[in-house]
Amino acid sequence: MIAATALAEAGRDPFGAAREAAAIARAAAAATDRDGAFPQAGMDALRRTGLLGLIVPVELGGYGATYATAIEIAQILSGACLSTSMLWSMHCQQVAILVDHGPSPLREALLRRVAAGDLLIASVTSEPTKGGHLLSAMAALERTDDGFAIDREAPVVTAGMQADGLLITMRRSPEATPSEIVLVYADRDELQRTEAGGWHTMGMRGTSSVPMHLAGRVPADRLVDPEGGFRRLAVTTMIPAGHLMWTACWLGAAKEAYRQLMHVLRTPELRRGYPLKSDLYAERIARVRLDIDLVEALLLAVAADYERLRATHGTRHEPFEDYAFNIRLNELKVAAAERLFAAVDAIVQLAGLRFGYRVQDETTIERIFRDLRSASLMFANDRLLVTNGKFALVDASL
Amino acid sequence: MSYPDRDFIEVLTRHLKYLKAPEDLTLDGELRGLGLDSKDAVDLLLDIEDLYGVVFPDDLLNDRTFATAGSLWQAIESTRGPGAGQ
Repeated sequence: MIAATALAEAGRDPFGAAREAAAIARAAAAATDRDGAFPQAGMDALRRTGLLGLIVPVELGGYGATYATAIEIAQILSGACLSTSMLWSMHCQQVAILVDHGPSPLREALLRRVAAGDLLIASVTSEPTKGGHLLSAMAALERTDDGFAIDREAPVVTAGMQADGLLITMRRSPEATPSEIVLVYADRDELQRTEAGGWHTMGMRGTSSVPMHLAGRVPADRLVDPEGGFRRLAVTTMIPAGHLMWTACWLGAAKEAYRQLMHVLRTPELRRGYPLKSDLYAERIARVRLDIDLVEALLLAVAADYERLRATHGTRHEPFEDYAFNIRLNELKVAAAERLFAAVDAIVQLAGLRFGYRVQDETTIERIFRDLRSASLMFANDRLLVTNGKFALVDASL
Repeated sequence: MSYPDRDFIEVLTRHLKYLKAPEDLTLDGELRGLGLDSKDAVDLLLDIEDLYGVVFPDDLLNDRTFATAGSLWQAIESTRGPGAGQ
C-alpha cells in the first residue's frame, strides 16, 4: 500500500525513483563491497520504487520504459553502487525476455509480480562443461506426469540465492542435442537451491554470483519457448538487452569516477599538488573524457539501431541475425569493457595515491576500478572478438 | 561593486599576454583581445579560486564571466558573498 501510494505521488517518474534508490544504494555501497554482501538495502529500494518493473508494460503495472530510458536509469544507479545496478540490469534482461517472448498467461502473471516489486528474477545459463557459451545446454529437462523436472549444476548464478524466481536454460529433453535449448521459469519455492561455493572476488563483490545446484519440479506451463526457439529469444532480446544494459552500467560507473576526479580537482583544498597547469596532465584528462564520450556515443547509436529494428520487425528473428548488427553489438560490449576500464585506470593515475588508489571518504575510485575490471571477463571479450573476426570475413556491409 | 584589489590585478595581468602595461587594463576592456583565450581562462580561474579560496559555481563557468576584468571581478564578488574581504 505504501509502495503504491509512493508510486502514484511520484507520478511514475523513473528518474526520481532511480535517484531515491541510488541514494540508498550509495549509502550501503562501501559495506556491500567490504563485506562481499548482497546489497539488500539498494535492492529493496528498487522493489519499493517499482523499478524492478521499469520495462514492464504500463498495463501490467510497470513504467513501460524504452531502452533509452533504461540506459539512463542504469547509469544513475551505477554511479552509486555497480553491484546493485548490475543485479538490477541482469534482472531487467530477464524481464525483457518475458515481455518479448513470455507465453500468456505466464507472462502477465509474472510481469505483474515484477512491477509490484515482488519478483526479482535471476538468470541461470552457465554450466560446468560449457562455460559461458550461451547457445548450448547440457543438463536435460525431464518430463514428469504433470510438468518437468530440473536437476542442474550452475557455476555462476548472480543473485541465485536471493532471487524470487529463476529463468533457467535446459537441454530440451534427454534425447535432444546441446543446441536444442529451452528456457524454463521456476519460483524459488519450487527449487531446492544449494549454494556450492562462495563469491570472493576483486570487484563486483555484492553480486553474490555463486555456484549452485538446482533441483525441483515445475508445472507444464513454465516454458518460455517461442517459435524459433531459444536462439530467437537470445538474438532478438537476451543478447541485445544484456549488452546495452551492462554497457550502460559500466558507463555510469566510469562517469562517476570521472565526476569524483573533477570534484577533487575543482576543490581548492583538495587539489593542492595536482599539476593542473601541466599540458600533459590536461591531455590525460582529455583522453579519459574522450574514452567515456566515445563509449556513450556508441551506446546511444547501437541502442537506436536496436529500437529501430524492433520497431520495424518486432521480434521476428531474421533481421536480428544480420552480421553487421551483431558485430556492432559485440563491439559495443568489447569497447565499453576495454575503454571504460582504461579510463578509470587513467583516473586512478590522475587522482594519485591519495584520492585514486586509497580507500577514503572523498572518492570511490579504487572500488570502481576493481568493479570495472570484471567488464572484459563477463560475457568474455575474447570470445566476442573471435565471433566478430569471423563475421567480418563474410559481412560485406562496411 | 567594490574596486578590484591588487592581488586580482596582479593575477589577471599575468594571464594577459598582449597587455603591454598594467595601466592599459580597464574594467570594460575585452580580455580576449588582450590574449586570454578560453583555454587560458581555465588557468586563470584556478589561480583566482586558489587566491580567494572560493569555487566558482557552474553557472558562472562561461564566456561572459571571463569577458572583461569587470565581469570577472563581479563573478568573484558574487561567489565570495557580500562583505567578503572587507
